[in-house]
Amino acid sequence: MAKLQNVYKVVSNEKLCPRFFRLCFDAPLIVRKIQPGQFVHIRAHDGLEPFFRRPFSVCRAKKYVEIFYEAVGPGTKILSLKKKGDPLDVLGPVGRPFVLPPAGTKQVVMIAGGIGVAPFLILSDVLKKKKGLELVLLYGGRTQGHVFNMKEFKNNGCATHMATDDGSIGTRGLVDKLFSKIDLNSKTTFIYTCGPNPMMAAVQKFARRHGIKGQAACEEIMACALGACLGCSIRTTKGFRTVCYDGPVFDLAEVIFE
Amino acid sequence: MIMNLTVKIGNAQFANPVTVASGTFGHAEKYYDLDEVKKLGAIVPKTVTLHAREGNPPRRIAETPSGMLNAIGIENPGADGFIRVKLPPLQKIGVPLIISVLGHTDEEFKTLTEKFHQQKGVSALELNLSCPNLGKKMLVAQDPEATRRVVKLVKGISRVPVIAKLSPNVTDIAAIARSAEEAGADAVSLVNTFSAMVIDVNKRRCVLGNFTGGLSGPAIRPMAVYMVYQTAQQVKIPIIAMGGIMTARDALEFILAGATMVAVGTANFIDPRAPVEVLEGIKEYMKKNKVRDIKEIVGVVKH
Repeated sequence: MAKLQNVYKVVSNEKLCPRFFRLCFDAPLIVRKIQPGQFVHIRAHDGLEPFFRRPFSVCRAKKYVEIFYEAVGPGTKILSLKKKGDPLDVLGPVGRPFVLPPAGTKQVVMIAGGIGVAPFLILSDVLKKKKGLELVLLYGGRTQGHVFNMKEFKNNGCATHMATDDGSIGTRGLVDKLFSKIDLNSKTTFIYTCGPNPMMAAVQKFARRHGIKGQAACEEIMACALGACLGCSIRTTKGFRTVCYDGPVFDLAEVIFE
Repeated sequence: MIMNLTVKIGNAQFANPVTVASGTFGHAEKYYDLDEVKKLGAIVPKTVTLHAREGNPPRRIAETPSGMLNAIGIENPGADGFIRVKLPPLQKIGVPLIISVLGHTDEEFKTLTEKFHQQKGVSALELNLSCPNLGKKMLVAQDPEATRRVVKLVKGISRVPVIAKLSPNVTDIAAIARSAEEAGADAVSLVNTFSAMVIDVNKRRCVLGNFTGGLSGPAIRPMAVYMVYQTAQQVKIPIIAMGGIMTARDALEFILAGATMVAVGTANFIDPRAPVEVLEGIKEYMKKNKVRDIKEIVGVVKH
């Protein structure tokens, strides 16, 4: 009964490295509606295994809708086998988007871990149009070949800094090693973060210490994505909040990372 | 061919036998195609308690083979909050509402009944006697005497039909259904979720914050069909059946086993169009098999 549920066609499904994929599908309806930070909920196939749909941040929406994903479990593995022309059952766009940085912001720092970089490409597509805004991306990944190519971020005018666990690209270590690379101003810097919870917890601590405001895009196992089942709730300072309906974007200071 | 899909629960009439199971339908006004929602026989919103509940700690759900484990913990804004915020948009849809209520005491069931039975658009009350996720040692629906007591109490006050929602976590569900019938229930609905558990072997911990949860989805369907069949042999009041219905074929199994109405539950999370597709499929089946009245096929399964 959801008016947001449709079957679209896969345009491409490109393998970027052994486990990372970028899938494009033709959904003008979503391209028209999507706001950075929102997501789509995809049914990998008609069968009952795996049972749930899978949520994906929209990574870009120009002519087609693009998602960036890692084939880790049964759902994403099936998705990775999709070919051009295959039907794709998609629900969305859903979820609360990023709010744009408050007036007076001069610098936006996007801090991403792994696959969490996805929503920042579409965010930078929007933010690059704002004059006088410095865009910085701090990005941590596992190893060379398991990181998203920075070219499109650079094309959007982002200064990019990378860290990998093994130091094969950029700084060796976790993304918090990159905090020192940015020249902060607590009044004019705004942070966006998306990635594993321990990383976002580190970002939250850092932001708190420097008095910087920001937003976090969260993830949780999800069933309906429509705020109906209340299954994807996380702890926040305001009580339990659903990632699908109240989020996935929350005020960085409000999330209690576990 | 003119087909009659109307069904009755007590003195309440519904345009067709398809509804949604409690806790699986929400934010219709924002996300759903209301023209499609209007086709349903009834809507059952998420269970309401007298006082607001914040629900269980995360994680609240897990994916299981052909199913879902949940321990939401009846997160809800409480009766007054529900009446203020959630009820008006539901009333606006215009589909008969069956309000699911859960009291922690007899007194709470009484107050909930008083708050809801005369609200506009409310066609029946469903007593949730069977939520497995509230840390109770014993559910009302696990005790024939407690079931009898609560149903009798609510029946004494309610001006709309009363439905008792039963738990499959019992030795003999038909015996509990008989108690409900004897106490005056207008219908029984079954089944609620099966108590279940999923363990993370790496962490050696239960996946759910509540440790245990309730299993739903196609994984439980054959067991639920059997329970509906068993119950239909022993009670005369209508049965509202739920338990893993994804398609019309699934729903028809329950109808043939003895259900008057069918509720689509977990399928709403996978395919939000499932309830209307179930309804369309039932109509097609009736047409193909020249069934003029849905009541002709209730409980006619052959041995």
